[in-house]
Amino acid sequence: MEKIFNGESISILLFLIGVYGLLARRNIIKTVIALAIMQSAIILFFLTINYEDGRIPPIGDVTIHTAVDPVPQALMITAIVIGVAVTAVSLTMFISLYHHYGTTNWLKVINKRRED
Amino acid sequence: MTLFWLVVLPIITALIGYLSHYKRIFILIGIAQLCTVGVAIVTFIQVILYGPMTQALGDYEGSIGINLVADPISSFFVVLTCFLFTAMLLFNYHKSYMNRLFLFLFLTLQGLIIAIFLSNDLFDIYTLLEVSTVVVSILIMYKRDSQSIYDGMVYLLTNLVSMAFFLFGLGYVYKIFGTLDLTAIKAAIPYVENTDTLILPYVFLITAISLKSAIMPLFSWLPRAHGTPSAPSIVSAVLSGIFVKGGVYLFIRFQDTFAMGLDTSYIFILIGFATAVIGFVFALSQTDLKLLLAYSTVSQIGLIVFGLSLESDYSYYGAVYHIMNHAVFKATLFLTAGMIIEEYETRDIRKIKGVFKRMPFIAIITVIAIMGITGAPLFNGSVSKSLIQKGISYQSYLEYGLIFINLGTIITYIKYATILTGDHKKGHRVRWNQKVALSILAFACVLGGLLGQWFVGILFDLNITLSFTDLINKSLVYLVSILIGYTFYKYWYPKIHFFKTIWEVELSFNEIIFSIVFFFGSFLSYLLIIY
Repeated sequence: MEKIFNGESISILLFLIGVYGLLARRNIIKTVIALAIMQSAIILFFLTINYEDGRIPPIGDVTIHTAVDPVPQALMITAIVIGVAVTAVSLTMFISLYHHYGTTNWLKVINKRRED
Repeated sequence: MTLFWLVVLPIITALIGYLSHYKRIFILIGIAQLCTVGVAIVTFIQVILYGPMTQALGDYEGSIGINLVADPISSFFVVLTCFLFTAMLLFNYHKSYMNRLFLFLFLTLQGLIIAIFLSNDLFDIYTLLEVSTVVVSILIMYKRDSQSIYDGMVYLLTNLVSMAFFLFGLGYVYKIFGTLDLTAIKAAIPYVENTDTLILPYVFLITAISLKSAIMPLFSWLPRAHGTPSAPSIVSAVLSGIFVKGGVYLFIRFQDTFAMGLDTSYIFILIGFATAVIGFVFALSQTDLKLLLAYSTVSQIGLIVFGLSLESDYSYYGAVYHIMNHAVFKATLFLTAGMIIEEYETRDIRKIKGVFKRMPFIAIITVIAIMGITGAPLFNGSVSKSLIQKGISYQSYLEYGLIFINLGTIITYIKYATILTGDHKKGHRVRWNQKVALSILAFACVLGGLLGQWFVGILFDLNITLSFTDLINKSLVYLVSILIGYTFYKYWYPKIHFFKTIWEVELSFNEIIFSIVFFFGSFLSYLLIIY
């Protein structure tokens, strides 16, 4: 059972939940949330790459054999920063869009846009 | 250190320009821009003379650190990027919206595009693409009217979704190879025992790259982003000219990297052909000047992907040369279209008449660019198109496909050229800086054709000779295609109801996501079945 519920399968599941949110929800806020879920899935996936029990964090004076691989963690710090920035930008754009169209629904925005 | 400066110089210039309150900052920016062009040309000459350059950032040599690599093709793309951005800045420097914020975003985008061409590290590429997505979406909605805000938002979110796919694929690549350096991955791929493991990361990465380069089911974001009504015309020109080529360039790199493990070139022949055909069908149905050009970009990208996948050196390098040519003439077309729209105050092709009489200079430049894109002999498009054709001259059905695509392009531009004729009185004056910028671009179109053999020889080490009889032959084929195209446009085109129904087809956001998932799913299941 532990073999099935490892980081990889959970992250794929989370990723698919995110994709479902993007596919099926017409609310723009929920689109942004679904994107954030996908990003969390990716972060979980990276952190569990080549995971083995008994490894220690690569901080301080450790020999190579016992420490975990630090590269994915370094990459993910960058990815988290990018994710926060990108979420902020998309929410800012959403506020601007909301002021123009007064709706949170993708379809209603398209319809109002056609009328212009 | 030169490679490093190519990326950093435009960004530092952008920052200084943004922070300083000096009134004549534009002169300083111009000087810095010329410096960047100089560095790019020097790098290109060095690469041609002494072979590819590699620079490790942070002094970690080999595949441990992050590398910048300049080979003949990528360094030529860098020169092209700098050249186009300089021409755009010159073209637009008198406009009121060219304030410090716009210049900051525009110059930063230049640095990012150069970095995409030079970078050799997958995570680096991810970061650059993500940042450039944000910058481009702000540039699209720069004038803040309601249409462009929606276009910018859809552009941003679809590209973010594709980058999430990219990052997931990157995780799998790291899991398999333990490195993110493209050269190291390419070297390690023949040693992968079970190629099944490569399928999932490959499909994740290629889905993201296909969306970036706008091939078949994933192109619906492009016309909205490139042809949005209110975006400044230099932004449209840069997006269609060089930014989308970043995606195509990454497509070349990834296909090259994974070629030893997974060979998918034959499926991309089909996808490329379908993209080209659908692109010109949609372009033909448009009545909006900018949207027609944007869909024509989709069609040309299809042609490029088609040429890249043909597995013949001539076609491959012909397609690469076509990327460069397309950058020049599509940028020219977008700039002139912007000026025509400004002068006539409408975007409807049916309402614009008599550009030759009203704006003679602009009309001549437009004709030169159209000759380039339709592949008239002696212009740059003909060199790349005949190279693509040369690679497949023994397979007749592929050659017919190519002629069909070119015929579609010609019909599209016959439709575009209808704005030139007709009667109109008033004259129009063109500012000197716009005149200079457009003349340089049009001159580049002609130069790319006249010196085509020399360029191809230097860049790709290919020898092509063009005899006089070939030239006559090509001119005849071109004239016949023009004739067929004109007859079709004049007599059949108005009768086909189909074109009138599809012009306003537009996918909503959820449908665009569905097309991404569909592409991903069908590609994955196809590869799983055949391997």
